[in-house]
Amino acid sequence: MGELIEKQIERYETLLREMWTASAKYLGTFSANLLVERVVWEVSQEYREMELLQYNEEGISCAGISASLKKNPDLPANDMFAKFILRYLEILARLLGHEKTEKIAKKLDEEFPGFLLTARGNERWIN
Amino acid sequence: MPTNLLLSISVKYWQDFQDTLAKVMDANIYIFDINGGSFSQFSRPVELCQEVNKGGKICNEKCIRFYKSALRSLEDKGILTCPYGIRLYAYRLGTYAQNIGFLVITSTRIRTQVSGEEENTFVTKAHSIYQTINEVLKAILEKNLLGLRRLELNSIYEISRLLTSTVELDKVLDLITNSLIIIYKAELGFVGLREGDKIRIAQAKGEYGHLLIGREWPMVQPLIEQVFSKVEPSSLSIEELMTLPGLTGLGVAPGNEIMIYPLWTALGAVGLLGIVFPVSLDDNGSRNLQIYANFAAVALANAKLIYRLEREAETDFMTGFFNKRALRNMLVQELERVTRYGTPLSVIFLDIDDFKTYNDTFGHLAGDIVLQKTAEIIKNSIRLVDIAGRYGGEEFVIILPGTKKEGAVAVAERIRKSIEIYPFPHRQVTVSLGVAWAKRNDSVDSLLARADQACYQAKRQGKNRFCLDPS
Repeated sequence: MGELIEKQIERYETLLREMWTASAKYLGTFSANLLVERVVWEVSQEYREMELLQYNEEGISCAGISASLKKNPDLPANDMFAKFILRYLEILARLLGHEKTEKIAKKLDEEFPGFLLTARGNERWIN
Repeated sequence: MPTNLLLSISVKYWQDFQDTLAKVMDANIYIFDINGGSFSQFSRPVELCQEVNKGGKICNEKCIRFYKSALRSLEDKGILTCPYGIRLYAYRLGTYAQNIGFLVITSTRIRTQVSGEEENTFVTKAHSIYQTINEVLKAILEKNLLGLRRLELNSIYEISRLLTSTVELDKVLDLITNSLIIIYKAELGFVGLREGDKIRIAQAKGEYGHLLIGREWPMVQPLIEQVFSKVEPSSLSIEELMTLPGLTGLGVAPGNEIMIYPLWTALGAVGLLGIVFPVSLDDNGSRNLQIYANFAAVALANAKLIYRLEREAETDFMTGFFNKRALRNMLVQELERVTRYGTPLSVIFLDIDDFKTYNDTFGHLAGDIVLQKTAEIIKNSIRLVDIAGRYGGEEFVIILPGTKKEGAVAVAERIRKSIEIYPFPHRQVTVSLGVAWAKRNDSVDSLLARADQACYQAKRQGKNRFCLDPS
């Protein structure tokens, strides 16, 4: 079980790193990190574990989240990461335009087929 | 998609909390958003409701219409009766300043006849539920607000540090617009720079950003004049924004706020900052955005000043061409390309014939006109990728990237001929030109020296001609 979670988080880490690297290429590391900070804040309102995401000028690490998941394996990590990615891409589209963002999203979809779509289902908001 | 970033709650987690509270209080709880649309499901089964709505979620058209209309007109709290006769205790959620939704409470046992005592007991119970839920939501709202403020302040701190240390205008513009979009989840963020008596949109991000980039409006345009008539930001309607020419096709979702900040420094107006976002800012938010705009103004003023100084440092005032220093720097880069990719590169050295005599005879003002006209003719005779500059006195250098000997000869002859036939004041003016092409391991000095030698040869051969590098 522990190994499975670790592997899963590793995959997400790869995915986030790719996403971060691709966006930092267009936006610069400062804006890419500001974007991560913003989305971490947003998602952490629902999943506090999101605050454990580490990021700096070098990139992104999920080591903190992985350690927390070992203690709390019931955390719906898939939903948490999916929300993070969806919201990240939503803002990214405004910054880069839909064409460039689509390219990044397409690459992510190839890595994790279909998961972006299923993530949308649970999201609703109070205004 | 959330339309308010200040309060976001996962419906799944909320439903768990609501169901537990409903069970403990033995009442039915239902939460609606600010538009009267359903957010959560009924916590406990109500037979009639389930029958009408086929489950815990409102889907009956009559019910949907009723809740939308009744809740929108609810001021603080009230007792309502649904289209199927169920008595509802409705409350407005949030603070006086901000409505975040509505709460509806009903008894789990629907009865048409209720005694006064039962009614009073249930009203007390409903009020306790309302207080609990409202406190929880307000706490979440406060926490979210604090988080947003922290994010804003951290960002402003980082941005202020970067903005005051980054002097490249393009980077500063990117940084400002990116941050607006990220922090405020803005639909559109743009920066206009003041260029003399007009404002030019230098950068814009967001769905309609491309419609704005490059747009120019005179400072006397009524809306622009209105923005710069004060220090504070202007809040505009979409209709007001659309009075700016050239914005056909720009769309702004209803409910979005459009703010334009004039960017002032001690030296005057630098430009403007525009933001279209889905949030109505409170006092703290407005203050933070104003601080951000102030930093943006200083950073833009610095970057513009440095950009101008850099441009001036490499421009020849008389002709508007590159000066000797800039030419040499660019030739270094072009020679690197020759070494790396083996692409051809040619250089033309041009000298105006008998310029000293012309100057001495007709005066320096007439001489200046010859220099300016010669520069114009050169500019019109070369491609956009070619680089021309005034090397000194009456000497010009033309760098032709990717051009072999034959191409360079054609350009030299074209320039010579154009100058020969141009009706300069007082008398005909001619030029002598030297053409050289880059060899491997050429330096700036060696290449220019060969082009200069060829030009000297053209002079010796009788002027008004070009010669090729003899080596």
